[in-house]
Parts: sequence; C-alpha cells; structure tokens
Amino acid sequence: MISIGANGFQLFVNYIVAIIVAIVLSLALRSPLLPKKPIRFSWTKSALFPTPIFAMGILAIFYSLNIFWIYNGLVIAVIVGAFLAIFVKYLFDYIFPIPQEGGSK
Amino acid sequence: MNLIIGLIIATVVSWLNFVIVDTFLGLPEAPGVKGAKTVGYSIKNRKGDLSGGFFQGNILCSPDASAGTLIASIGVYISGIQGGLIAALLVYIGNRLCADPGYAGTCGALTMTLLIFIFSFIGITPEMFICGMVIAIFTIQGIHHPTSSRLIGKIAKSFGRYTKYE
Repeated sequence: MISIGANGFQLFVNYIVAIIVAIVLSLALRSPLLPKKPIRFSWTKSALFPTPIFAMGILAIFYSLNIFWIYNGLVIAVIVGAFLAIFVKYLFDYIFPIPQEGGSK
Repeated sequence: MNLIIGLIIATVVSWLNFVIVDTFLGLPEAPGVKGAKTVGYSIKNRKGDLSGGFFQGNILCSPDASAGTLIASIGVYISGIQGGLIAALLVYIGNRLCADPGYAGTCGALTMTLLIFIFSFIGITPEMFICGMVIAIFTIQGIHHPTSSRLIGKIAKSFGRYTKYE
C-alpha cells in the first residue's frame, strides 16, 4: 500500500477543504460553475476546472516539502484555496494566455 | 506480487485508462493543432483510420491522458499520492503551453493516481505502472499505426466520438 503521509485522513480533509474554499471563492468572484458547452473543447475558466486542480497541486507541493505549519496543514489548505481562486480569476490569462489561432481542440 | 503478472495487469489498466479518458474527452473528434491534422491525414493515406489518426496526432502533439498516466505513475513513485496531484498540475500547465484546454491530461493523471492507489492494495507498485504505461503507449504509437488507428476508430465510434472531418 502507498503511504499517504503521517496522517492520511487529516491530509484528505485538508485537500477537501482547499477544494471547497477554492470553488466557493471562485463562485463568489462570479466565475461560472462549469465551462461553456461542449465542455471538452471549451477554454472557459470555471469554478470546477481548473481552480481545484491548481489548489490540489500547489497544496501537494507544500505537503511533499513537509511544510505543514499549524493545525496539521489545515490553515495552509485554506490559504492556498483562497489564493488559487483569486489567481485563476485574475492572473491566469496573463500567465497562460489562450492561443489565438488553431488552438481549439 | 509476481513481477510479470503485475506488469501485465498494470499495462492493461494503463491502456484502458488512457484510451477511455482520451476517447471520451474527444481526442479522435478533431485535431487540436496543425501537427495532429498532418499526422491524421498521413495515417489515413497509409490505409489507416482518420479518427484514430487524429487521436494519435493529438497525443503526439500535447500531453493528454497518455502523458498524464505516465507522469502520474512517476509522481506517485517519487512522493506518493501528493506526487500524483503535482503531476496533474504539471500536465495541466504543459497542456496550456501546447494550446490544449487540458481536460484529458488532467483527468487522466487524476484517475491514474486513484487507480494506482486502489491497485496498490493487491500489491502492484508504481514502478510496474511506469513500465506498463510505456508498453501500453508502445502498442498504440510504436508497432503499426494503421492497425492501431483502426482499433481506435472503432472505439471512438462506440463512444460516439467519431470525427466529422473527411
């Protein structure tokens, strides 16, 4: 069995918290819940994609570097979730621009 | 678990994971970039299937579920479940750099992380999945393109994702 850290259940809760914070804050910042249809070809940023992917990935980087800070990493989860929701809403297009032509898969 | 049996199971699981996720998320339907279109028509000219050709072109030109599956296996091998989640993020960033919306790669990496976790209970290790994924991608991209593209075309038809291009 693969180890999921010193306290697996706590980490699982932390990930869920980060995802929920990211989704709720994205919705509060008026991102749509789902991308435009057809979803598999859509470039819209939404609350369900890619915000939680970023939140989970960045949180996993913190945890794999053994940065937990206080409350077993719960506070970091909330901060990362909130920061990533704001990042995806306002800074994302600047860092990862949508391609201008030939980029609609 | 016996290495050979584990490797066979890992290959089958990786193959199913990346083919199902990629087909469901529309890789055989349309070429994302010009390179994928060129590969698709080139395979069609060699008596292959156009839809399967687009599939092969798309997984060649950007990191889709095939790359997601492989990188998630490597991530889990390096640092456990956290590594799989980091892999999903890296695959998504790679997708955006390759002019791809990124659904297939990210979903593939996340489903593979879950599958590796589930299969670790019966003793299949992440190393087996890394090797299994290389074998799985070899069966699609490495042996005979027209034959594998016809197989992908049939799978795409059964998923309702066959291309409308001529």
